[in-house]
Amino acid sequence: MTPPFLEILEINKRFGDINALKNVSLNVSIGEVICIIGPSGCGKSTLLRTINWLTPPDSGKIILQGDIIGSVTGKLTIKQNRLLNNFRARIGMVFQQFNVWPHLNVLENVIKAQVVVGKKNSEEAKIKAIKMLNEVGLKDKFDEWPDNLSGGQKQRLAIARSLAMDPILMLLDEPTSALDPELIGEVLTVLRNLVKEGMTMLIVTHELGFASNFADKIVFMDAGEIIETGAPREILKFPKTDRLKHFLDKLSITSF
Amino acid sequence: MKFDISYIFDALPRLLEGALITLQVAILGFCLSVILATLITIARTTFQSRIYNGFIAFYISFIRGTPILVQIFLIYYVLPVFGLNLAPFTAGILAITLNSAAFVTEILRGGLASVPKGQFEAAKSLGISGFALWWKIILPQTFITSIPPLVNEFTMVLKATALLSVITVVELMRVSQQIYSANYHPVEILSATFIIYFLMCFVVSRSSVILEQKFKVKRA
Amino acid sequence: MLEYQIFLDYWPMILLGFWLTLKIVLCAIALGIPLGLFLALGRRSNYLAVSFLATSFIELFRNTPFIIQVFLFYYVLPFYGLRLSAEYVGILALAAFGGAYFAEIIRAGIDAIPKGQLESARAIGMTDWQSMKNIILPQTVKIVIPPLTNQTLTLIKESAILSTITVHELTMTGLMVQGETFRPFEVFIMVALLYWALNETIATIMRRIEKSYNRNRKQSNKDKYTIDITKSSGLFR
Repeated sequence: MTPPFLEILEINKRFGDINALKNVSLNVSIGEVICIIGPSGCGKSTLLRTINWLTPPDSGKIILQGDIIGSVTGKLTIKQNRLLNNFRARIGMVFQQFNVWPHLNVLENVIKAQVVVGKKNSEEAKIKAIKMLNEVGLKDKFDEWPDNLSGGQKQRLAIARSLAMDPILMLLDEPTSALDPELIGEVLTVLRNLVKEGMTMLIVTHELGFASNFADKIVFMDAGEIIETGAPREILKFPKTDRLKHFLDKLSITSF
Repeated sequence: MKFDISYIFDALPRLLEGALITLQVAILGFCLSVILATLITIARTTFQSRIYNGFIAFYISFIRGTPILVQIFLIYYVLPVFGLNLAPFTAGILAITLNSAAFVTEILRGGLASVPKGQFEAAKSLGISGFALWWKIILPQTFITSIPPLVNEFTMVLKATALLSVITVVELMRVSQQIYSANYHPVEILSATFIIYFLMCFVVSRSSVILEQKFKVKRA
Repeated sequence: MLEYQIFLDYWPMILLGFWLTLKIVLCAIALGIPLGLFLALGRRSNYLAVSFLATSFIELFRNTPFIIQVFLFYYVLPFYGLRLSAEYVGILALAAFGGAYFAEIIRAGIDAIPKGQLESARAIGMTDWQSMKNIILPQTVKIVIPPLTNQTLTLIKESAILSTITVHELTMTGLMVQGETFRPFEVFIMVALLYWALNETIATIMRRIEKSYNRNRKQSNKDKYTIDITKSSGLFR
């Protein structure tokens, strides 16, 4: 039996007194789209951030294609650090607050990491950047400064920046939560195209409509634990636990 | 030659005496400069005269644009030309005061800007004006918001007093020079002096936080 | 009253002093800014020893009068066998003093960059140093230029103190001319005006540059990232 594409094994994380993640395990197969839902502070963002070691867990293992990411035994060695950076280059991450780089114009935002991390020459990187920006619908904004973009455009730029690194896995941390309602659609359209192309994705989201239509699996977390996992229909229509029922009741689920 | 710590112990009583003088000079100069700056500020707000404001702007720009050491020389060497013979100590205090007042005036301008215009109007509508308006209503608010930059300015004054050694005011720097020119151990003596200055300035600059909290509590 | 002859007789000498002041300050900045960057990064380091050393250096030099730093350099360097001319001692002292202040300005600048900027750089695979170099420092540069300019003006003024260790810069020249002429008023006014003119010129040029920079690049980060420079720079003197 082949090992799963991404294996999250018994991850624990504490912040002071708060137990952010309690023994969380999750398997992701290639091409799978998993949406993680749950009340705020339930640890869903932390889980995402432990995967690329942005928040190192206290214990547990992250295994991507059979290789262990990071190490929970204290400081990383130089070799482990280099390995970690290689993983990160192949794991795209999209943040709630976009985090586009304001001192670089749109095109440079997408070129930078390809050159610095991917060691591409700038011509090659530019061609790739143009392609990616076209894909996310920013083809007339190459010379624009990020500060002059709308939130939706910034987020699409951030997605293009990640895609230019040819990621094998995308982590999206509430990609639409900081957007005005009328701008959410344009970002979801880009994500929908990614789903169609077969990208493996982990998405922390409140967009239950998107989750129910495009996720292969929905994971419900509460208080640092995974409470329920299943197909969107099962999770959203037939919740088994009270906690999930309670969570769904509180959300106004008008979107589907 | 080796670093001989016993010279520091021998010199310590005299150095501490010097430090006390440094503190006195700094406190005296700073208090005078705050008084002067307050008067300048009140006059500026009350008169709104273009000539006066222009003169003050010129004064502030000159003080900020030239080294305090040159200002000290100007006062120390030039006043006697006009028949005004000041002792080094007096000339030093005068230089420090005139210098610091320019910076304190700038600080107070910032503090005053944070006092809402309505405060003036409210007080006037209650019949409070003149001295009472400033003393009871406006100045307390101005000074409380200005605490951090004022404390910073005091450390600047404390450091500037060391320059008075060049016009023979016997403060900490001068005392240390006197000691090492007698015992030929400048490294030890200067190191000790350096540490004493550091302790004084460090304590003062950290006190800003405490002062701020104290006044915040009082206001709440 | 005014003895104009002094201006005519001594201006070449005074100008020479002015030129040395300029050279010393330029050298001190050239050394001080890298030192400041190094200290700022050191203070932020995860290695306790490095961060302790950098912090100690910064705090010691920021909390003592420059004149005693100058004297310490003047006497301590030969004590450990390093014999330099007064000019070089002066440059080193001014660079150390400036470096401590530059460090705090740069640190405040780095801290003003939102945390997400570093995270996004790390998440895409950049090392700590690559993130600093490509993402954080370029953004820092823009916000630290006004306080760095202020600090440069401070260095010009503090350089007058080098006259106490017989560096023949502007103030020292003034003292010498005064010793020959006994006309302190003319001499020190001339010296003061030169310092003043230099300060005003630099301040005006920097304001212009900043303005045109902001006009050319219609970026508005300046409003978003601000730093409290009143505490970290010697803004008040």
